Amino acid sequence: MDKPTENAAGGTLADEGLDGREATLLRATLENMSQGVAMYDGEHRLVTWNKLFREYLDMPDEFLTSEHTFADYIRYLGARGEFGEVDIEVALAQRIKQLDHPHSFERVRPDGTYLEVRRDPVPGGGFIAIYTDITERKLAEMKLREDEEQLRAIDAAAPVGLVIMDIKTHVVRHTNGCFGRLIGRDAATIIDRPIAALVGDTEQTARLIDILLSPSTERQEFSLPRADGTPIFTIVSHEHLEFRGAPAIIATFVDISDRVRMEHQLREAKEAAESASRVKSAFLANMSHELRTPLNAIIGYSEILSEDAADEGNTAMVADLDKIQAAGKHLLGLINDILDLSKIEAGRMDVYLEQVFLSRMVEEVKTIVSPMMAKNENRFVIDSPIDIGSLRTDVTKLKQSLINLLSNAAKFTKNGEVVLRLVRDQSAAGEVVRFEVSDSGIGMSEEQMGRLFQAFTQADSSTTRNFGGTGLGLTITKHFAAMLGGTISVRSEPGIGSTFTIELPAETKAALDSVAAPEIADPGAPAEPGAITVLVVDDDPAVHEVLAATLGKEGYVLRHARDGIEALNIMRREPPDIVTLDVMMPKIDGWSVLGIMKSEPALEHIPVIMLTIVDDRNLGYSLGASEYMTKPIDRQRLIALIHKFAPGAEEGLVLVIDDDPHVRAMVRSTIEDVGLHVAEAANGKAAIEWLDAHHLPALVLLDLMMPEMDGFEFLTRVRTDARFADLPIVVLTAKELTSEEREFLARNTLLILNKSAQPIGTLGSALASIASHRNG
Amino acid sequence: MPKILLVEDNEMNRDMLSRRLARNGFEVVVAVNGQEGVDLALAQQPDLILMDMSLPILDGWEATRRVKADPATAAIPVIALTAHAMAQDREEALAAGCDDFDTKPVELPRLMGKINALLGLGG
Repeated sequence: MDKPTENAAGGTLADEGLDGREATLLRATLENMSQGVAMYDGEHRLVTWNKLFREYLDMPDEFLTSEHTFADYIRYLGARGEFGEVDIEVALAQRIKQLDHPHSFERVRPDGTYLEVRRDPVPGGGFIAIYTDITERKLAEMKLREDEEQLRAIDAAAPVGLVIMDIKTHVVRHTNGCFGRLIGRDAATIIDRPIAALVGDTEQTARLIDILLSPSTERQEFSLPRADGTPIFTIVSHEHLEFRGAPAIIATFVDISDRVRMEHQLREAKEAAESASRVKSAFLANMSHELRTPLNAIIGYSEILSEDAADEGNTAMVADLDKIQAAGKHLLGLINDILDLSKIEAGRMDVYLEQVFLSRMVEEVKTIVSPMMAKNENRFVIDSPIDIGSLRTDVTKLKQSLINLLSNAAKFTKNGEVVLRLVRDQSAAGEVVRFEVSDSGIGMSEEQMGRLFQAFTQADSSTTRNFGGTGLGLTITKHFAAMLGGTISVRSEPGIGSTFTIELPAETKAALDSVAAPEIADPGAPAEPGAITVLVVDDDPAVHEVLAATLGKEGYVLRHARDGIEALNIMRREPPDIVTLDVMMPKIDGWSVLGIMKSEPALEHIPVIMLTIVDDRNLGYSLGASEYMTKPIDRQRLIALIHKFAPGAEEGLVLVIDDDPHVRAMVRSTIEDVGLHVAEAANGKAAIEWLDAHHLPALVLLDLMMPEMDGFEFLTRVRTDARFADLPIVVLTAKELTSEEREFLARNTLLILNKSAQPIGTLGSALASIASHRNG
Repeated sequence: MPKILLVEDNEMNRDMLSRRLARNGFEVVVAVNGQEGVDLALAQQPDLILMDMSLPILDGWEATRRVKADPATAAIPVIALTAHAMAQDREEALAAGCDDFDTKPVELPRLMGKINALLGLGG
């Protein structure tokens, strides 16, 4: 501790009769006080003070070293402006008057600090003045007062209702004016009443208490009753707080009546609109039907008239009638699209799920869109893996969607390329099949893409004029994709092209596999007595799948073989009632299997259905032809074929088998022109005789329809004879398979079925007729 | 000359289609409702039946079922003609025993393809 000096603090305590030790103790006490202290004697002379007195009041040394009275001190401070603008003599007189009794007051010094001044008379005259710096306390008090004031203002002015509820008793401890206004009562009348009195209904009270006591602070909607009985919709949120020493909940209630009312109106408006839309859709559906009937007449009769005019050679009228017909068809397309769309919007478009074999469906789509592709000289490419398999979906809607996308692509692309790509893939949602339609056409801008799937909107309003179409195709396609559980998306660049992608879930594919696979894996499954067993011989798993799915249902027991060898082994072990035979298979082909069957007494009698593709080109191939050529014969193509199959065979010989001598003569002259020799046969029998007697020719040209032995039988025989296995045979046939050719096939119990687009009913009825024949 | 029975109640449709079939070398017999269709199928033994589906008295589905149920007419191929290509139409037509299905308005080359296919196979 510093020894007090005259400068720091002072006064002579010894003068007042204290001995040295007491004086030292008192001095130390004074100096250690947290207050400023000054003592005055009976004549009000300053006799002692401490350091804090000097500091608090900024007393200069020269004042403290001289003898001064209380009046001097007050005057000095007054002159310094310590008391503000006051008459110092008046102030002094007031202070002196108070000195005979203890008193205290607070004052603010010019520097902003607060001092509490306390003066107490001391026994034997004089007084002691104690100065306490209360600045901090004063500021805290002021802050608290301001905070309280703000809270009070918020409480009163807030647009939310506030309620403070005791956690234990559920009694309302406080509410604000706004809450009173919300419920139409005086807030004061609610305080100290149970919260149940606010709500009325017991169940609702329980719910409100639940909300307020729930640990979740999530906001909840709650409807409060007003004084007049009407409800007020609010959103409640709550927090814990301590209120007057007890745990409580503060809840805020925000009035959402306007919002609820608007929602209600909106819902009503929406329902009205939807109802109107349903009525509209029903109307459109009926109207579309009514419109189609007269349109059918317009299209049909203009077509008849056009045919008549063509017969009469009136080409000008044909052109006009064709325009009527084209316009009628366009209008019909529009009406059909509107009908589809209105059915979709009315919720009357049903989805028929079935197992769809994709490669087959793509072939059907190709048949339909190929003429559209040809119109703008576009190349149409199908990029689909051989094992793309099947998909459980609505085949009509999927086909229509793909045709829509492909016809758009064909329309907006000229001398370009349109690609249909099928991909089986895994997505986040599981296994999917993606159908991508890409073109190298005019493309679209971002903005055009944005409007793409809206009804009656094409990327450009001039589009309809330039490119035709109804503008509904994409909207319908988008609806279809959604109905089939999938999506449609587009990416495009103006001038580069567009790609539309439909992605459909394949979720039921696994289910089919589990049905079909064991049957294929286990060809020896026991047959029910009396059931017709059908051996399906095909290298295409899709054929097994489709037959298993359809014929299995009809009660046939199916056996499966993937190639001819396996088929023959199964037949010899357990002869089936019927065999369906694919023609083109690896190892040995269907004709060879048929030949072997007909040479074995145990298998000879089994009826065989040849499953192949009834397009004339493929018929030729499937009969074992190396190539195929249509009549009338194109010389250039004939020469090219000869070079292909008889390369470098300058001395080679071509056998021409045709019953028409004019054809033989024409072919002979063409062949001799390129320096080859020609042998002729008028039918298959003569040709076989010729082959038996001569060296193998370089090439055989074969007509199909001939007397005695026709081309089909010739091919069947030649192909089952090892000597002629590698003989190149080019089939000559007319563009269309003639009815005689078809009859020939039917007569020979070889049912040729089109695998790519066969209504399954036909195979079913063929099987049924064979089966009934066998039983009868 | 193959004989086709056309069952169609709409006079214009019947007129158009019968004229065009005749032009394509068919003998055409017409019936104006399903019952008449069933009766004429039995009496005339046509090579093929073109059956509209929405017919008075007896609709096309029921008429087809009756034709297919009678052994004397069961073998006659039936092509269903419906107004709009909806999956359910196709399903129902095939379920009723139709051998094939086509939509109206008739696209003659397409319909001829189906007729020829069925006649060729059935011949």
